[in-house]
Amino acid sequence: MRTLARQINILDYALSSLWRRRLKNASVLVVFTAVIFLVASFQMVTDALTGTAQEVLVNAPQITLQRMSAGRQVNIPLAYAGKLGAIYGISNIVPRVWGYYFDELTGANLTIMGLDTSRMPMGDQLRLTLAEGTFPAAGSRGSVVLGQAVRDMVRARGSQLLSLFRNDLSMASYQVAGVFSRATDILTRDLVVMSIADARDLFRIPPGQATDLCIYVANPTEIGTIARKIADLLPDTRVVTRPQILKTYRVVFGWRSGFGSICLLTALTAFVILAWDKASGLSLEEKREIAILKVLGWQTADILAVRFWESLLVSGLAFLLGVTLAYVHVVFLDGVLFRPVMVGWSVIFPPFHLAPAMNAQVFFLIFCLSVLPYLAATVIPAWHTATVRADSALSGA
Amino acid sequence: MIIECRDLKKTYTADGQTVRAVDNVNLSVARGDFVIILGHSGSGKTTLLSMIGGLTTPDSGEVLVNGIENWHQSDARLTEMRNQTIGFIFQFASLIPTLTALENILLPLSFGNRKAATRREARDILAQVGLKDRENAFPAQLSGGQQRRIAIARAFINEPAIILADEPTGDLDEDTEQEILSVFHEYHRQGTTFIVVTHNVHLAESQENPRILHMRKGVLSERNPARSQAA
Repeated sequence: MRTLARQINILDYALSSLWRRRLKNASVLVVFTAVIFLVASFQMVTDALTGTAQEVLVNAPQITLQRMSAGRQVNIPLAYAGKLGAIYGISNIVPRVWGYYFDELTGANLTIMGLDTSRMPMGDQLRLTLAEGTFPAAGSRGSVVLGQAVRDMVRARGSQLLSLFRNDLSMASYQVAGVFSRATDILTRDLVVMSIADARDLFRIPPGQATDLCIYVANPTEIGTIARKIADLLPDTRVVTRPQILKTYRVVFGWRSGFGSICLLTALTAFVILAWDKASGLSLEEKREIAILKVLGWQTADILAVRFWESLLVSGLAFLLGVTLAYVHVVFLDGVLFRPVMVGWSVIFPPFHLAPAMNAQVFFLIFCLSVLPYLAATVIPAWHTATVRADSALSGA
Repeated sequence: MIIECRDLKKTYTADGQTVRAVDNVNLSVARGDFVIILGHSGSGKTTLLSMIGGLTTPDSGEVLVNGIENWHQSDARLTEMRNQTIGFIFQFASLIPTLTALENILLPLSFGNRKAATRREARDILAQVGLKDRENAFPAQLSGGQQRRIAIARAFINEPAIILADEPTGDLDEDTEQEILSVFHEYHRQGTTFIVVTHNVHLAESQENPRILHMRKGVLSERNPARSQAA
């Protein structure tokens, strides 16, 4: 009980000490909170982006096959699917038309995808990506599923139809059958999904061709092996696997995040060095205070404990504030400060909503990189300062 | 004996010269004694007081408080002893500038293991030293004399058995000095042991039956050898 009472007294003194130096501590709190907010925001934006990409790409084909000519992608004949029949492990091959449509009126670059969802193995799961409506039924014509931005564009025109121009400038109109959910914004915001027949019609692709073949395998662990076999069998093709796409996302976001994190961690390190410098250089007033406390019955350990509690309260509060502000920034404000850095300024990533991704490991890492160094930077120098001779209080030194 | 000093020695080196601050001092103080040590500045009075209070380590010799040698106990025990047994009155007011008068007085109670003293008791002592209406004032808002009185009140808050005072009336006006000395007198009457170092010879006249010691160049001697327990 005595020990507990002692610790409560120390905590009480630490709190009153913080209050007595409230201006100085408030400024430390503000700077520390800002640094943690920046580091946490950056990390949370990265996690949200990679998490969203990973979630959405679950529905992507395990292997995508494209035909190459003169180093450029060209249409692939559907007959290529027949050549793959010899490879054991392929469960399904679905042709797809994938292209881009520049809308001169809005200046938007739409992604057009023509496929027959009923032939895709995860047709049921694909439905979960929709906020409303359904995918066009097999064999149906004239209906589309839109990403959020395209839906907004159609609404802004006051129309229920999406009208696009074919190569010969004739117009094709499509009924909106469904809209993708916001959680898939990163990949679907500018997307228009239609039947493969409609897509062929729009881009004037002959019936026996597609832009790529979506290949599904029975055993996901064999994706790499089967991709190598396909590449060997069809040397004029490019074989892209889902793990490769995921890796690309991780690399892109990871590189940007890493670059930003290095800058922010430098700021954090500078702050900790400043804290160390401040804590190790004791003012005459602080020395006198320590000497007086020691004369009055405080032990060196008590003075260290006061410094520990002070630092823990400041850094802990800064951590909580910083992380909370980062959460609000990323989840409610869509990471407005860092999104341009993370996603780039290209048309590939138009504005989209960030799905919140909370990673406990990341928060623990930020805690270890911020609170613990600050504690060390303030408590370790205090060890030196707490050894101030008590008799210096007698002489007034 | 509540305090015993045996063959105490302490030397300092300043500007390449060795100064004997305390030179072979022997002193026994009985419970309830009022000991006044007179001497000029630099005679070693403060160093002796500091060693008795367990703040300065002697080069050689022993200091026993309540029969326990100061430097044979752990730092924790020594500070506990200091907190519970000794009240210090410094040569300078030595208040913590960011604490109010009342908070400064309550400081020693932070780790007091005796019965919990209350703020009311602290206010009573504040009233005793004539600063009842200044409990919320910060040291910078108080005069030098008022600060000194706060420091004196702080020394008494734990009801210590021993008061070690270094020039307690140094910069007080005559009226305040009389108030403080009457506080000393009252506590002494209740059995508190005092060791007061000063060069104010009038202080000796204010107390009943004080023991007067002289210190000169680190050597302690007693005016009335019949009472002497000092070497």
